[in-house]
Amino acid sequence: MHIVICAKQVIDPDGVNSYALWGQLEVDESGRAFSTELPLIINAYDDQAIEAALRLRDDGHDVTITALSAGGEDVNQLLRHCKAMGCDEIVRVDDPDGPPDAFRTARLLAAAIRDLGDVDLVLCGRQSSDYDQGTTPAALAEMLGYAYVTVAFDVRVEGERLRIKRATPLGEEQVLASMPTVVTISNELGIPRYPTGRGMIAARRHPATVKTLEELGVEDGDGAELLELYIHEVAGECEFIEGDDPAAQAAALLGKLEAEGVL
Amino acid sequence: MSGIIAIISQPPAEGLTGGDLEALGGAAALAAQTGEPVLAAVIGHSVSDAVAEAGERGAERVYVADAEHLAAFSGDAVVDAAESAVAASEVSTVVIGRGTNTLEFAPRLGARLGGGCVMGVTEVRPDADGGFAVVASVYGGSARAVYRLAATPRVIGLSPGLAPAPDRDAGRSAEVVAVDAPASAEERVVVDQPAEATGPRLEEANVVVSGGRGLQRGDNFALIRELAANLGGMPGASRAIVDEGWAPSEEQVGLTGKIVSPDLYVAAGISGASQHMMGCSTSRVLVGINTDRDAPIFRYARYGINGDALEVLPELIRLTRERAGG
Ligand SMILES: Cc1cc2nc3c(=O)[nH]c(=O)nc-3n(C[C@H](O)[C@H](O)[C@H](O)COP(=O)(O)OP(=O)(O)OC[C@H]3O[C@@H](n4cnc5c(N)ncnc54)[C@H](O)[C@@H]3O)c2cc1C
Repeated sequence: MHIVICAKQVIDPDGVNSYALWGQLEVDESGRAFSTELPLIINAYDDQAIEAALRLRDDGHDVTITALSAGGEDVNQLLRHCKAMGCDEIVRVDDPDGPPDAFRTARLLAAAIRDLGDVDLVLCGRQSSDYDQGTTPAALAEMLGYAYVTVAFDVRVEGERLRIKRATPLGEEQVLASMPTVVTISNELGIPRYPTGRGMIAARRHPATVKTLEELGVEDGDGAELLELYIHEVAGECEFIEGDDPAAQAAALLGKLEAEGVL
Repeated sequence: MSGIIAIISQPPAEGLTGGDLEALGGAAALAAQTGEPVLAAVIGHSVSDAVAEAGERGAERVYVADAEHLAAFSGDAVVDAAESAVAASEVSTVVIGRGTNTLEFAPRLGARLGGGCVMGVTEVRPDADGGFAVVASVYGGSARAVYRLAATPRVIGLSPGLAPAPDRDAGRSAEVVAVDAPASAEERVVVDQPAEATGPRLEEANVVVSGGRGLQRGDNFALIRELAANLGGMPGASRAIVDEGWAPSEEQVGLTGKIVSPDLYVAAGISGASQHMMGCSTSRVLVGINTDRDAPIFRYARYGINGDALEVLPELIRLTRERAGG
């Protein structure tokens, strides 16, 4: 069984949160990226997608796991992490200056997956923590003509099909899906394992396979064009409730809420 | 191509709610900018009431895909039916409100139609040449992005609260057009579904009391439940404690959880990360209880108690007990 996991390198969301909070997040001259220097990490849901693939191997299935990412050379670091986690192959679609358009990215990834040949399962994170859209995997499924299942936290092989548990807003749902399938993984899957020492050594010796857009025959198409980024300011006008002890504070708060008419 | 179509799938029998109404509101707001007509597509089984309501709420024409296999949601079937409705109506733009299954089909539809899709749209801005750009939050709300979907047909997934639904006017009615929706082989079948929620919904609660990692231990979430019950509200949770297993993921509030907008939102032991606030920042009155005076929750809160939630919550419970009649 051949599993592809699609991974994206993102700016650490906790870093963005705290810089934004202290008013230190800034947009650069292009208007489409931050100028603030922040660490790059693997999108956390993608790390969980790798974990989902590794659990299928732990279940005793004979799986080959290929990690795939699009970007410039800085993405090699991310792919080395994927290799260290236990992926067998790592592939980078060389696209150093690609715009952040999910539909374009999906075209690149779809071309790379077709190029790999017999793929049974594509695992992606449910969304990336930078643009928060969740559109890339959906577009990928459409472009490849694969079945599509979102927000999974448990993926098992059952004969020719997959049995998938989903975390829906109403609760747990189970679906059976034919293969090939694109499945997106949600955080309910749990904490991913750490790379082992042996994995990290193997990753150092294992360069990524690089594919160019020409080699893959990626065609142009339409999508969502990012025009501008801007920082969202939060006003802040909190009235602190003082009091001698928690009982006094609680009583004072309830008084305020009654006066506001919300109780 | 002309027209803005609101997609309504599997409407409840009791009348349109939440995301369905917001899709009609969003379509009307967009149409007001571009001068295109407002249309609707209703996908489901035995949906004549919803078709009538879409007309009373301003849709000029309603495209209806009514078939037994559309009674329950299936991404494959809804994308197919919506594609047929778009082909029949020749619209430029599809508008979809936020619902349980939106993520499962809206971006697929955008890819299928070719014009792409932006999800979580909070604002639509007219541009110079009669078109428009859309705004959506990025980085969990710390920043906003402005996008253009140049090609048509394109899909816009709305964030709650963009535009109110037009009021019902029994004097209005829509022309109804039936759309072919043949059942195709399902690639994905649901074998076990969560029970249809019968009680009150978190998204519609007037009061929400939420807890975060500051509760220290899972069993302290009982304090959140008790205070919520005393106030006639519902409990909510941060993702951190859903990940810890202290609360079920259906109770998560935020970017990847539920979006609530109650009269009163109490956040106890929640830091106030932007991803959490995406789910509650439009609450009328927000209260933060946190030991850290610099916690981001106090940026959003109307009232703050800089103290230990494990001491303040029991007092609030005690003082509100009479209110609950107990
Ligand atoms: C892509 C993405 C999506 C996300 N989606 C969501 C989402 O939908 N919902 C969500 O909630 N989060 C989401 N998050 C996570 C979010 O960024 C935060 O990590 C999370 O909200 C933190 O939860 P918390 O405030 O409970 O925990 P913490 O950040 O650990 O904060 C605990 C707080 O409790 C306070 N505290 C400690 N002890 C006490 C005490 N005794 N009394 C009172 N206060 C105390 C501390 O001062 C601190 O402020 C998402 C993150 C990403 C990257």
